[in-house]
Amino acid sequence: MLDWEIIVHYFPFLVEGTYLTLKISVIALIFGFLFGLLAALLKLSPNLILRTVGAFYVWIIRSTPLLVQLFLIYFGLPQLGIDLGPFMSGVLALAINTGAYNAETIRGGIISVPSGQMEAARSLGMGVPLAMRRIILPQAIRMAIPALGNNFVILIKDTSLVSTITLVELTLTAQRLIGSTYKPFEMYLMAAFLYAILTTTTSVLLGKLETRIAVERR
Amino acid sequence: MTSPSSDSMQMIEIHNLKKFFGENEVLKNIHFNVQKSEVVAIIGPSGSGKSTLLRCVNHLEEPTSGEIYVEGVLLNDKSLGKRSFQRHLNRIRTKVGMVFQQFNLFPHMTALENVMEAPLNVLKEAKADAEKRARELLDKVGIGEKADSYPGTLSGGQKQRVAIARALAMNPDVMLFDEATSALDPELVGEVLKVMENLAREGMTMLVVTHEMGFAERVADRVVFMADGYIVEEGKPAEMFRNPRNERTQKFLADVAHEDL
Repeated sequence: MLDWEIIVHYFPFLVEGTYLTLKISVIALIFGFLFGLLAALLKLSPNLILRTVGAFYVWIIRSTPLLVQLFLIYFGLPQLGIDLGPFMSGVLALAINTGAYNAETIRGGIISVPSGQMEAARSLGMGVPLAMRRIILPQAIRMAIPALGNNFVILIKDTSLVSTITLVELTLTAQRLIGSTYKPFEMYLMAAFLYAILTTTTSVLLGKLETRIAVERR
Repeated sequence: MTSPSSDSMQMIEIHNLKKFFGENEVLKNIHFNVQKSEVVAIIGPSGSGKSTLLRCVNHLEEPTSGEIYVEGVLLNDKSLGKRSFQRHLNRIRTKVGMVFQQFNLFPHMTALENVMEAPLNVLKEAKADAEKRARELLDKVGIGEKADSYPGTLSGGQKQRVAIARALAMNPDVMLFDEATSALDPELVGEVLKVMENLAREGMTMLVVTHEMGFAERVADRVVFMADGYIVEEGKPAEMFRNPRNERTQKFLADVAHEDL
């Protein structure tokens, strides 16, 4: 059965790998949110060109695999003279990818805000950008939080793909330890456990945020 | 551009206003003025165009043709570019308060924050000033004690009073009421009408689309009856309600009176 001695001994190494996973997740999450917000606003723009740009981004990202996007940025771009290195490439690919999914989530939130909200804001002399920022987006994001949380959890799990571009995060740490211990079951089990900790914590925190907002609006 | 009228007391002037929704002509060549400090009630059956007319006055609806002047300034000024038109609109709208049937309070803000929002972010008032004024206004509409409540916890009548305070916080020169009591439970209508009546007594210029005939008769200086996109008849409330000249007005008032039985 399980070799507990190995588990106890190597667990701290895997926790160390988790730090990089966490770091990549947080940065990609922030930029992914911003990309999503921008793309959602583009897709709702009255300007046809901007709308097309937003729609194209969401379409191309959602219709291709993340692994291919990652390889395009890490292996492909250097051929054009753009060498971002593994960390930047990994974070960028993840942010662009999750951004496309966030865009649809945020867009859904924005269009679910009743039109009377924009009318009330405009009738008070607020311009569209101000009304968006102060009135529409705060409500849209609140409504989008459950679905955004889902995207965040997927993002955390997707960070394991950057192990393929030499980033020694949780998954690659596990793989390397297998090379020296020949204990793949224990190593991957520990990795899975640590991913579960990260994703569960994220879900719980978002759940709390949701409740707090619900109480505030009661 | 300024108004062609020489009378500087006109708050709102509307010339040849037409509005189409697709093929459907909802406003047919409307001519209409509102004097300073005048309270005008617009009545008429649903679908008569009265809300659309009101919404044209702050350009929530874009007129298909015609001119609307607010305090002598052309509202739908076609000579302006896109951006300067938006600034022009924002500037005029700060002077035109609007109260909606569905309240449209900002649900993520407290009553106080709702009232302070535009003075802070549009007029760039100092926070202390905006808060002081917001509290005064909430007291004035009788819900000072609800300042820190979120709209979700308020009754319809309380929400509408917050909405009135929110509009007043901009120090508007004219207030538009779009069926402000139509979404309220019957027992809550009175508290909102009372606030509106007080406002009228203070000399506020008001354009009120309403189904409350009692309010129109008691408070309005002039009643306008609309049907099928036309202004059919207008006059002093006493005349309009006692001796309507037009057949359609007579029928409408008879139907409304019947409802009240």
